[in-house]
Amino acid sequence: MTISDETLMAYADGELDAAGRASVEAAMREDAEIGKRVTRHRALRETMQGAFSAALDEPVPDRLIEAARGRTAATGAKIATPQRTVIDLSPAREAGRRKSSAVLWRWQPAAMAASLLLGLGLGFWAWHGSGGVLIQPGAGGGLIAGTALSEALSTQLSDDRSAEHVAVTGLSFRNKSGDYCRTFSLTGTDASAGLACREGADWRIKALAQSPRAAANPGNFRAAASEDSPAIRAAVENSMDGEPLDHAGEIAARQAGWRLRPSADHKRPRSQSHSP
Amino acid sequence: MSTNDSVENIQEQIVALLPRLRRFARNLVRNPHDADDVVQIAVERALLRLDQWRSDARLDSWLFKILRNAWIDEVRARARRAKIMMPEEAGEHIGAAVMEREIDRWSAETALARLPEDQRLAVSLVLVEGLSYKDASEVLEVPLGTLTSRLARGREALQEMLRLPEGGRS
Repeated sequence: MTISDETLMAYADGELDAAGRASVEAAMREDAEIGKRVTRHRALRETMQGAFSAALDEPVPDRLIEAARGRTAATGAKIATPQRTVIDLSPAREAGRRKSSAVLWRWQPAAMAASLLLGLGLGFWAWHGSGGVLIQPGAGGGLIAGTALSEALSTQLSDDRSAEHVAVTGLSFRNKSGDYCRTFSLTGTDASAGLACREGADWRIKALAQSPRAAANPGNFRAAASEDSPAIRAAVENSMDGEPLDHAGEIAARQAGWRLRPSADHKRPRSQSHSP
Repeated sequence: MSTNDSVENIQEQIVALLPRLRRFARNLVRNPHDADDVVQIAVERALLRLDQWRSDARLDSWLFKILRNAWIDEVRARARRAKIMMPEEAGEHIGAAVMEREIDRWSAETALARLPEDQRLAVSLVLVEGLSYKDASEVLEVPLGTLTSRLARGREALQEMLRLPEGGRS
C-alpha cells in the first residue's frame, strides 16, 4: 500500500478525517517504515513549537498594547487612524460639552493653519471676527488673544452660551506653571478652537485648531466645541494640573482677573494640586 | 453600551494575541523592529475593520492575514520609494553541502529563516502557530493544495537542516 508523504504529514498534523486516519493507521500496522515517517513529522512539529515558544514570554512593547486598545498616537504608524480621546475631563467637561459636538470635524494642527495664513501673506483674516480682533501676534513671538477674544476669555463663564459672543469658553483650569488656562471656540464663520493661558496681561494662545470645513460651510454652525479637537485635547491633557475649575472656581478666578494673588504673582508658585 | 463593551473585549483579546502576532511577524519580516512596526499597523487596521471580522472566524487567523497584507503593502511601498528592496537573505540559496560543511546543526529559528518565504509562512502558521491547513490557506490566500505542498516542501527542507531522526521518504 502506497501512501503519500503529504498524507502522512496531514495525519501527523491532525488534519485527516476519521476514514483517512483509519487508513493511515492500518498502513502503519502493516509497514513499520510508515510509522517512522509519521514520527519524523511529529518530531519536527514539536521541535518547531518548542523552539518558538520562548518568544511568547517576551515582554510586549507598550506601544503595541496601546495600539491594540485603540490609543495609538501617530507614532511610527504608516496608516491613518482616527484619533481617540484618551483624556477624561470628567463632569466639568461634560458640563462644557456643546450640542454641536455631534458633527465630526476634521481638525488641522494650528501651527499649520497659522503658518499657512502667514506664509501666504493673507494676514489674520480668519482671526478677525465681527466683534474685533480675535488673535494677533504677541510680543516676543507667538500668538495672543486680541481685544475681543481677550474680553471673552476674561469675562465669560463656561456655562455662558450666548451666541452673541465672539467666542465661547469651554474649560478652565490651572496649568503646571500655575497659570489659568481656558479653552475656547470662536463663534464666527471660522470654526477655530484653541487653548489660551493667562500670562501677565495677555491671554497667550497655546494651541489652536481650525476646521477646514469652516470655509466650505460658513454659517452652518454656531461653534465647534474645542473639546472636539484632538490637538486641543492633547494640549489640555499635557498642561492641566489638577482638576478643571467648577463654576465657583471660575467666578473666583474671574474676580482675581485670572491672575494669581498679587503677592504670589511675582514668584508664580505651582498651584496646589487637587488630585488625590 | 454593549457595543462598546464588546469592542473593548475584542481589544483585550488582541492584546492577549500580541505575543503571537509579534512571533509571526518576526518569521514574516525577520527584522525585529520592522516586525513590531508591522504588528502595530496590523492592529490599527484591525480596529478600523472590526465590523469586517466574522465572530465565527478565529481572531488570530484574521489578524495574521491583516498582518501579512500590511507587510505586503509595506514592502511595495518601500519598493516604490526605491529605498530598500528587501532582498531575500543570501543564505536561502546556499546549497545543502555548504550548510553541512560549515554548521553542524541548525537551530530551528535559523533553519526556518532559511526557507523561501512561501514555505516559511506555511510552516510558521501551521507548525509554530498551530493553525489548521484551512485557516493557514485563508491567511495566505492560496488554495488548500498549494498550502499543503508548500508545507510539505518546507518540512522536508527543515528535516534536512535539523537532521531529525531518520525516517523514510516517499
